[in-house]
Amino acid sequence: MTDNANKLLRGVLAVATVAAIAVLTIKVTARPPDPPKHHRIPVRFWHMWTGEWTPVMNHVVAEFNASQDKYEVIPLLVPSESGSSNNASSKFLLSVAGGDPPDCMAQWSQAMSAWAQDGILSPIDPLMTPADKAAYAKCYPVVRKNGWYKGHLYGLVTAFDVYACYYRADHFRQAGLDPERFPSTLEDLIADGRKLDKYDAGHSLVRMGYMPETFTNYVPAYGGSFYDESTGKILVDTPANLRAMSSLVKARDVVGNDKVVRFESGLNSGDAGNWPFIGGQVSVQLDGEWRVQQIAQFAPNLDYRIAPLPPPSGGKSLSSFSMVDYLTIPKGAKHPEGAWEFMKFWAGLSDPARAAKYKVWFGWLPASPEMAKAPAFQDFVHKYPQFRTFMDLAASDNIEATPPVPLQVYWADRVQAADDQAMHGTLTPKQALDKLQQELDREAARRKELGYEE
Amino acid sequence: MRKNWIGYAFISPWLLGFLIFAAIPFMTSIYLSFTRYNIITPPHWVGLANYHMLLTGDPQFWKSLGVTFRYAGAAVPLGIVAGVTLALLLNLNIKGMAFYRTIFFLPSIVPTVATSVVFMWILNPQIGLVNRVLKMVGVDGPAWLQSSTWAPWSLVLMSLWGVGGSMVIYLAGLKDIPVHLYEAAMIDGAGPLQRLRHVTLPMLSPVIFFNAVMGIIGVFQYFTEAYIMTHGGPEDSTHFYALYLFERAWRYLDMGYASAMAWVLFLLVMGVTGFMFWGQKKWVHYDG
Repeated sequence: MTDNANKLLRGVLAVATVAAIAVLTIKVTARPPDPPKHHRIPVRFWHMWTGEWTPVMNHVVAEFNASQDKYEVIPLLVPSESGSSNNASSKFLLSVAGGDPPDCMAQWSQAMSAWAQDGILSPIDPLMTPADKAAYAKCYPVVRKNGWYKGHLYGLVTAFDVYACYYRADHFRQAGLDPERFPSTLEDLIADGRKLDKYDAGHSLVRMGYMPETFTNYVPAYGGSFYDESTGKILVDTPANLRAMSSLVKARDVVGNDKVVRFESGLNSGDAGNWPFIGGQVSVQLDGEWRVQQIAQFAPNLDYRIAPLPPPSGGKSLSSFSMVDYLTIPKGAKHPEGAWEFMKFWAGLSDPARAAKYKVWFGWLPASPEMAKAPAFQDFVHKYPQFRTFMDLAASDNIEATPPVPLQVYWADRVQAADDQAMHGTLTPKQALDKLQQELDREAARRKELGYEE
Repeated sequence: MRKNWIGYAFISPWLLGFLIFAAIPFMTSIYLSFTRYNIITPPHWVGLANYHMLLTGDPQFWKSLGVTFRYAGAAVPLGIVAGVTLALLLNLNIKGMAFYRTIFFLPSIVPTVATSVVFMWILNPQIGLVNRVLKMVGVDGPAWLQSSTWAPWSLVLMSLWGVGGSMVIYLAGLKDIPVHLYEAAMIDGAGPLQRLRHVTLPMLSPVIFFNAVMGIIGVFQYFTEAYIMTHGGPEDSTHFYALYLFERAWRYLDMGYASAMAWVLFLLVMGVTGFMFWGQKKWVHYDG
């Protein structure tokens, strides 16, 4: 072949390659076809329910859209890290800063007060009709006490997680314990946990009976709290909180922190069917209500029961800490009225019986006694009797929440750090709580000096 | 004149990109560091309050600085030693050297996120590769990333994984050393170690200095691995400066405070780099 022919061939190949890349690029980056135009007002809704939850979320939206001739909700999944809302929160904050936020966003971040103070969210209560307010007033205390800042509601609770003890009946029998008689005190439960532990030949844990962990989850049972309603300030260094942290450290020391850390590092992530409780690595696990649905889906024949966390001596029964999913309207939303229509539809303020169906699809708890009585929930409890424990917890007055102060995100991070230090034995529980209180006071003073209104 | 404009037009994409994405944000952050700013509402002037609180009322600032300095003190020298050693080995005349060089260079082009996720498994105290191997020789390995004592060292260990990047530069430096210097040393009776001490290392010192400066700048911005693998824990033992800065900016929406932190970091890096430039006169040899 001549040089000219070679050059021609190379030229043709180069052009073909560039053309192929261009076609592929255009195909990949081409905008999806515009959604069909409707005469209804579009309500843009961002959420974070990935995996098995996405179709459920889309189903709720479809039902709302079918019920409407004025608004149409357009859902958008904004994926986030597993177990966190960091990525989605950053995208959300940038959308607000850029002046083009969604009309409504579901939030997992326990930062309603912080974001309200920062002017990121719009208050919802001005949109509420008297009928909406009346329906809201009938909701459980845990729903009503979350999402407020300075007398205004910024986050409508669409779901809340409370925690109870899942326990394996088969493990109980193996250890000579009666699964029908769950321990009545936390001290007894911790003691039974050691009977359920299993070690291999090298004295490494292969099954954890029960280990009380995460300081915030145990504070309510000890009658503790993180918020002083009389002063409107965070308060962590209290005798009840100290008792809670001390008991957690004591329980851990019996097994040994190193053994616990090593054992837990080898456990699965806990998502869906990978939950170590299903895998049999844990016999008793304090966890949330959504697991009932997951067990039904991924391990339908699992022999398990659920009981409320037994109170410690002198503590509170039917208690739990709560983590909340909110529906919010960001500042700058173009159709807040449409967003509110969707929010109350889904949260059940406009029709609790209808919303009960959606909650059941997600495996969530009812927001009010009326919703709990709806056929959807009654059928669900009939099908999964274990869920009854969570229904009882939902109605309880002993549910603690994230402090409704702008410092709440910092609070959550520093509580976790203090918990960490106490569990590792670097600080005593008293030292850890003292240090935590100092950090929070210092941060509050810092914010005050910068001119923030607390 | 017309020619100039054509030239500017050609470089305008870069120029605009630099102005919009680097120069303007860089200068704006100076102003923001004197304000209270949450990205939503307009910045509010607070004077030196952010700097004052940073230096006098924030133990976490000092702690994160300590974590970063300790890491720098271990990772940078170890990285240099490992890089130079590897380059010396890969400079030998043996068969298949190109293959070995490729193998050692490859880890440095693997994305940090992927490397971090893999190392989380490798260093898992229960099911990780490292502890399994240690167990085979009768050693009960530490809890690595789950231990406040070992977590920083785990990250130092991991930093050596990417040493191939600097190794290539050392290798290029070694190739530049004139052969006649070795010949002269051998005629004078110098052994391999003496040649290394009196020829190779002095001649390589500009490259070592360059990698040391780049390494220092890099470790002061150390973020990704800690963000993915430890989130700053356990017990704040890997709460690096850049991670704390990120939290202040994006978790607490304290952009003014974070900007002040960024400028303190900038001055620190400039200071340390300046100190290194001052000290290099004593050990870096530029003439052949």
